[in-house]
Amino acid sequence: MRVWLWRALVLLAALGLWEAAARMLNPILYVGPSRLPAALVRVLATRDLPPLAGHVWLTLGEIAAAYALAVAGGLWVGFVLGLRKSLGRIYEPLLATLYAVPSVVWYPSLMLFFGLGPSSKIAFGVLLGFFPVTLSVLAGIRQVPATLVAVAVSMGAKPWTLFRKVMLPAMASTMVGGLRSGLALSVVGVLVGELLGARAGLGYVINYAYGLMMTAEYAALVALVAAAVLLLDGAASLVEGRVKRWAG
Amino acid sequence: MKVLACQALSVVAALAAWEAAVRSGALDPTFIPAPSAILRVFGATLTDTLPRLGDTLLKTLLGYALAVGVGVPAGLLLGSRPTAHAVAMPYVVALYGIPKILILPWIALIFGIGLSTAALAAAVFAIFPVVVLIAAGTRDVDPTLVTVAVSMGASRAQVGRKVLFPAVLPSVLTAMRVAVVFAMLGALLAEMLAGNRGMGFQMQRTALAFRAPELFAATAIVSAVSISVVLFLEHLNQRLGRWR
Repeated sequence: MRVWLWRALVLLAALGLWEAAARMLNPILYVGPSRLPAALVRVLATRDLPPLAGHVWLTLGEIAAAYALAVAGGLWVGFVLGLRKSLGRIYEPLLATLYAVPSVVWYPSLMLFFGLGPSSKIAFGVLLGFFPVTLSVLAGIRQVPATLVAVAVSMGAKPWTLFRKVMLPAMASTMVGGLRSGLALSVVGVLVGELLGARAGLGYVINYAYGLMMTAEYAALVALVAAAVLLLDGAASLVEGRVKRWAG
Repeated sequence: MKVLACQALSVVAALAAWEAAVRSGALDPTFIPAPSAILRVFGATLTDTLPRLGDTLLKTLLGYALAVGVGVPAGLLLGSRPTAHAVAMPYVVALYGIPKILILPWIALIFGIGLSTAALAAAVFAIFPVVVLIAAGTRDVDPTLVTVAVSMGASRAQVGRKVLFPAVLPSVLTAMRVAVVFAMLGALLAEMLAGNRGMGFQMQRTALAFRAPELFAATAIVSAVSISVVLFLEHLNQRLGRWR
């Protein structure tokens, strides 16, 4: 209870400091929290900005497509490399090495190949989401106790039963963590792509507001997107918690 | 050894297949140039790239120093004070989760399109993983170690140097390795978004000019540099691990 009180105090203090600083500084550059609601209303009423709904749906669609492809590709590569140990020993280090490259270096090439439309954003979201999913499947398979597999096989478990009853419970909590970071990174990938050059989508609207120096609207949009991202991640963490309880 | 040979072989095979695909017309060289075409412009791109890459690495280094200088003490503090951890950690995790790209335009608006924006972007990207990893590592230090040392008459300084420092060191080193990639990411992104110099700007411009071979060569150079930095830090990590 006391912790909650302190947290609320910290939040209030931060907002107060920001407000006080913003009032003393240039109002174009520094937008205090008190100006956000009005700006948000202006953004939603779309008086000066492109209508928001279409851009939001486009961005959501890009994220959904990117995440679906990242999960499909990540699970497939993860299981192939994890179940065939000889392949895993060769290719897992290569994957881990690529993970050490700052991902944004791939974006210009993707933009060149896929153009400025939605596909380059989806491709970048897939690329970012793919790695945590793959690596978590590989880590999860390593956590499956070999003795349990041996016992189940010796008792005549079919491959599907083996997977469903032995492997999945052992690897679920690691895997679901990777699926959650994959979702977060797919969102980041799509947003980065939209901000670096797009003709539509939330990132485009943010750039538009910023480019016209409508900083209050820009700040309101950023707060909106940040809140949406945190909500999405919160929902993912609830799912993660449930799966972890199920897996024990 | 055999693994290494197989890895080398697969890379060579992939490059050969790529080359063949371009030559046979399956891939359009306007978008995906053949490895041989990339190799031809590699030397020229390298001489053109190195000063820009140096520019970007300087920004990375500045931001990295800022992130480590602020993030390590903050992480140690949050890790060693349970109340502070309970109060502040949700905010740190939330800030870590928000895509930092969103506030880059604002940073660029305030600090212009030069060195300070990119360095600050690098710091903003790198500081949160540092704080989170070090706070977690500090919390994991076994309290009995401290109790034993104190009961045997160790002074505060001795506890810090002989017990806490070696116990926290691995997480500090991991955080420092992870943070390099994040810092470089932030610097490159800032240059792509709002820059007129540096590697990120250069790559974005090359892409918009449809100079695919130069772009692929530049991508390969940046990747190679960041991989070598990470491998070097990993090596350092292992050396220090043995010392421990």
